[in-house]
Amino acid sequence: MTTSILGLFQQPEPAADAMDGLKEAGFDLGTFDVLTGTPYPEGAFGEHVPQHRLFRFPAFGAIIGFTLSVFLTSVTQLAYPMVTGGKPILSIFAMLIIMYEMTMLAGVIATVIGIVFESRLPNMKPGIYDTRITEGWIGVVITFDDDSKVADAERVLNGAGAVEIKHA
Amino acid sequence: MASEAVAHESEHHAPPPQVDADVVARELIATTTGASGRFKVWTWGLGIVAIVGVVALILKFIDEGDDSTKWGYVAAMVSFLLSVAGGAPMVAMAPVMAKANWVRPVTRIASLFSFAGIATLIMLIPLVAILPPLVTEGARRRTIWYLAPDYSPHFWTTLGLVLLLITGVALFYSAALPDFASMRDHSTGWRQRLGKRLARGWVGTDVQWRTLRMRIGMFGTFYFLILVFVNFLISTDFGQSMVPGWRDAIFPMYHTVSGFQAGVAGVVIALYFSRKYMKLEKYVHLDAFWSLGRLLFALTLLWVYFFYSSFIVFWYGRSANDIATLDLLIRGEMMYVFIAGVVLIWFVPWWILIWNKVRRGTGAMVVGSFIILIGLLLDRIRTFVPAWSVPGDQIHEKWLKVIPEAYWPSVFDILIIAGGISMVAVIVMLMTRVIPVLSVWQVQEFNLLAKPIKYIRGHATLVAKPD
Repeated sequence: MTTSILGLFQQPEPAADAMDGLKEAGFDLGTFDVLTGTPYPEGAFGEHVPQHRLFRFPAFGAIIGFTLSVFLTSVTQLAYPMVTGGKPILSIFAMLIIMYEMTMLAGVIATVIGIVFESRLPNMKPGIYDTRITEGWIGVVITFDDDSKVADAERVLNGAGAVEIKHA
Repeated sequence: MASEAVAHESEHHAPPPQVDADVVARELIATTTGASGRFKVWTWGLGIVAIVGVVALILKFIDEGDDSTKWGYVAAMVSFLLSVAGGAPMVAMAPVMAKANWVRPVTRIASLFSFAGIATLIMLIPLVAILPPLVTEGARRRTIWYLAPDYSPHFWTTLGLVLLLITGVALFYSAALPDFASMRDHSTGWRQRLGKRLARGWVGTDVQWRTLRMRIGMFGTFYFLILVFVNFLISTDFGQSMVPGWRDAIFPMYHTVSGFQAGVAGVVIALYFSRKYMKLEKYVHLDAFWSLGRLLFALTLLWVYFFYSSFIVFWYGRSANDIATLDLLIRGEMMYVFIAGVVLIWFVPWWILIWNKVRRGTGAMVVGSFIILIGLLLDRIRTFVPAWSVPGDQIHEKWLKVIPEAYWPSVFDILIIAGGISMVAVIVMLMTRVIPVLSVWQVQEFNLLAKPIKYIRGHATLVAKPD
């Protein structure tokens, strides 16, 4: 059964010490996280930076849009061939506008989907939390698959100067 | 992380002391409750005027819905409201992208204007019904819609404005999530329940903060693109296409830039009143007004640049349609409205904002902003009222051969103008009862990244710029 504990700190320095302590105690990256009421600069707590995959969405969308646009412009012009000004039926300059628009459109739609996906909202199981976090307190939350390492985590949190430790 | 020191010139301008995060949360959430008697009187008063304006709009539609020449003031109001309510949220986006620290306490109040897009949409509804189709009696008027279906301007403008409203609200909501969590944690009653519902399980993890920044960036970019698109549609379909021979590629950009100017002016006014009457001096520092003053000054200078670039083409063109367009929009019966507009939207604000001392205060800044909005309203009137006064049977011609008489406002028009402006104000005021007028987390972030320091013998603010 998954359990978690939350160490509460009034200042960021001891919270960062707790994060360092957890790493040194052998806790896996990704099993502990920091909760804040305001965005601290990235890496301020030495926290694990999860790799997001947002950049894949617009790239994937743009490739799909571009492919569709090439198909659309080619097939429609070949299906209804009209020679204009002696130009070839498949004129790249006439096709470029549609290709650009469809590439951008699919890229934008895929980006919106990507943002929704990467946001992980709504968070149906917010887990352990304390309302003082939105008053400037810092929370260090550790999640366990078994209870064997709870005492180690508590020792690290207390050693760093946690004001309070909550269990869930 | 880079940092920069912003020096303050004198003891008078020493940076104010920082406020603890718990005090920020408690005090800003408290601003949503306990409205003063004066606030309630103003809200009720403006609300009644707004309702009267909507009733006047309906009555005008019933009474004059078959005569497009009498709808110029409503068209001017749509353009004016789009400029103010549409331009203001740009302040919540553009400086944020540039990582400006001063803007953090200002973004919420700027994004609240997104909701005022409802007023623009209400005004647009009868106008869309009255706007002539592209082809009438076999003749097609000159528009950007060469071979498009007859009702393309009606459809795309409505869709554009609805999209702008949705994107504006999405931009607001993206940045408001952590504050809904604060309301869930520290508010009471229906505000707490609303906070819990809208916070969507926000707890402030690293991933949540990262994706929050992404969402703000994404919706901010979309908002900018759609705003320019809607400005283009309103200025061409509801302005230029109503006048035969009015061909001007600069006018849509002129309309957009003056909209940005009006948006900044609107934010300055809202910020001034909320700071003064909600006692927020320790959160909204003078630094914000200085920076907004510079932005307003730059946009005021841009106005004259775009106006002159547009005007000079007609002035030197001297073709029959150029002369007719100038006669209709500038030299005719609207000449004094035009002159008043130029004086109020450009000359007076320019003369006020050029002084450093003025930009470093709040009083003259807010006066300048009011003057700009009055000037913008006159500018929109002198543009859209003559444009809509062209009779329906003449808008398909090559150029305007007979300059129509000016249409002066009826009682309905005056009530609609008053109602539209009141509706924007009352929507923004009511939203300050729902969510703190300043973003709690952004004020906390402002304090986190800016430290007042003693700098040699003066004072300065040390600003951290995380990347």
